[in-house]
Amino acid sequence: MSNAIETQGLRYRAGKDFELRDLAVTVREGAIYGFLGPNGAGKTTTVQLILGQLRPQSGTISVLGRRVPQDLPAILAETGYVPERPHLYPYLSVVEAIRYHAAFYPDFDRAYADQMLGTFEVPRERRLARLSKGEMGKLHMLLVLAQRPRLLVLDEPTDGLDPVVRRDVLSALLDFCSRGAATVFISSHLVHELERICDWVGLLDRGRLVAELPMEAFKNGIKRIRLTRVPAAAGATPFEVVSRGAEAGGEAWVVRGWEPAMAQWFQGAGAEVRAIEDLDLEDGFVELLRAARGPAA
Amino acid sequence: MFRQILSAQWLASRLAVVLLGVLAFAAPLLSVFWGGDLPSAGSDHVAYWLQGSERIAALLPYLALLIGVAAGFLAWSPDHAGRHVYALSLPVSRPRFVALRFAAGAAIVTAPALALFAGAIVASLSVSLPEGLHAYPVQLTIRFLLASLTIYAIIFALSIATKRAQLLTAGVLGGVVFADVLLAAWGVQFSVTAETLVLLTTWPGPLSILAGVWTLFDV
Repeated sequence: MSNAIETQGLRYRAGKDFELRDLAVTVREGAIYGFLGPNGAGKTTTVQLILGQLRPQSGTISVLGRRVPQDLPAILAETGYVPERPHLYPYLSVVEAIRYHAAFYPDFDRAYADQMLGTFEVPRERRLARLSKGEMGKLHMLLVLAQRPRLLVLDEPTDGLDPVVRRDVLSALLDFCSRGAATVFISSHLVHELERICDWVGLLDRGRLVAELPMEAFKNGIKRIRLTRVPAAAGATPFEVVSRGAEAGGEAWVVRGWEPAMAQWFQGAGAEVRAIEDLDLEDGFVELLRAARGPAA
Repeated sequence: MFRQILSAQWLASRLAVVLLGVLAFAAPLLSVFWGGDLPSAGSDHVAYWLQGSERIAALLPYLALLIGVAAGFLAWSPDHAGRHVYALSLPVSRPRFVALRFAAGAAIVTAPALALFAGAIVASLSVSLPEGLHAYPVQLTIRFLLASLTIYAIIFALSIATKRAQLLTAGVLGGVVFADVLLAAWGVQFSVTAETLVLLTTWPGPLSILAGVWTLFDV
């Protein structure tokens, strides 16, 4: 399977305090890829690099099999982009904004856009400057979906929206994905939201990609193991120990790359396992970030 | 695509353009009404009328300047507010997009020029010119249009220039003014600002179109 987005050795520096280092993101075609990270991790910068809005200091970017920035118009013709902040012209009415946007995309589905306006209950004649945040979020989403893109790049598309609007927007997105083979790259810090819809996840922290793996592997492969008797010497483990912490009556380990058969290793090491717990995406996310930042963080 | 760009740009700048267009239409009429009815006027009245006409003509370069500045500034101001994210996400090569935007703005700039032409025609037809005097509505309109387009092009270019280029331009302008202050402080009878303006507004200076004859009626 080919990759919809692929970056290699991407480096970008903005000021003294922020740098993306050796960023290697791989988004398979057809995936719904959740790009997670705390505020200021570099998610929006990465999105802007991928879409050619910023130029990296080094590294390569390919999107839909084409090179960035050389083939940008062809890439953007097949890419729907919802930015972090509203970017449409505020003096246009909703209908005018749709007409303007449609002019740039030959496959723009006007009937779908019209239908979604009704579904989303966005007032057609209202100026964009007078739309609520929720209405603006819906408008952005309907515009990019009506483009019929092969790739959707969504930068915090539901940030600041109320739960009802968020659900509307996400269900429109999922409905679109279920109809075709579009790839979705969705950046967010709302972990639970991505947990429901993504099948791949990448974790970014302080400009570094901490982890990139299928959601299933993330959910099933990261465990918290509570030990009542700790192995005398941990030595080489068949899994990756993300973190170790003392707790009442023993230790809690967070491990990555876990498989059920690995429980035997503890027996062999003289340890006693009290419980093996699943971590939801948020807990796993926090643990991976802690591990990536090290004990000093 | 161009039609939508033109439409969006028109919506962004229509208030300013319509207002300035009304002024452009009114300017030649004002020059006529200021002078009164020529055939019934005596020679003093003709002189008064020509003086009024020249006064209005002196305002026209400033009107062209305002139109160029407004159209140039308003062409990109909504994009500046959105940090150009929308423009950069559209599937059009950047040179082509800039060219389309420029063309749309240039088309908008022609609207006040057409208003001036209409006003000039009405003004020309409403007076009986004494022998030796002629009306030049076409020439005046072309001059006005070229002046508006020149200013528009400069402001358009500055609006989308890099921060560095904008700072450099501001620095040069600031430097000229600062040089004048220093020269004045040392008692030197030389104005860098005045000399620069002469350089810019005399041929082949880029703003030479603003100088010259702007009257609707001339010999």
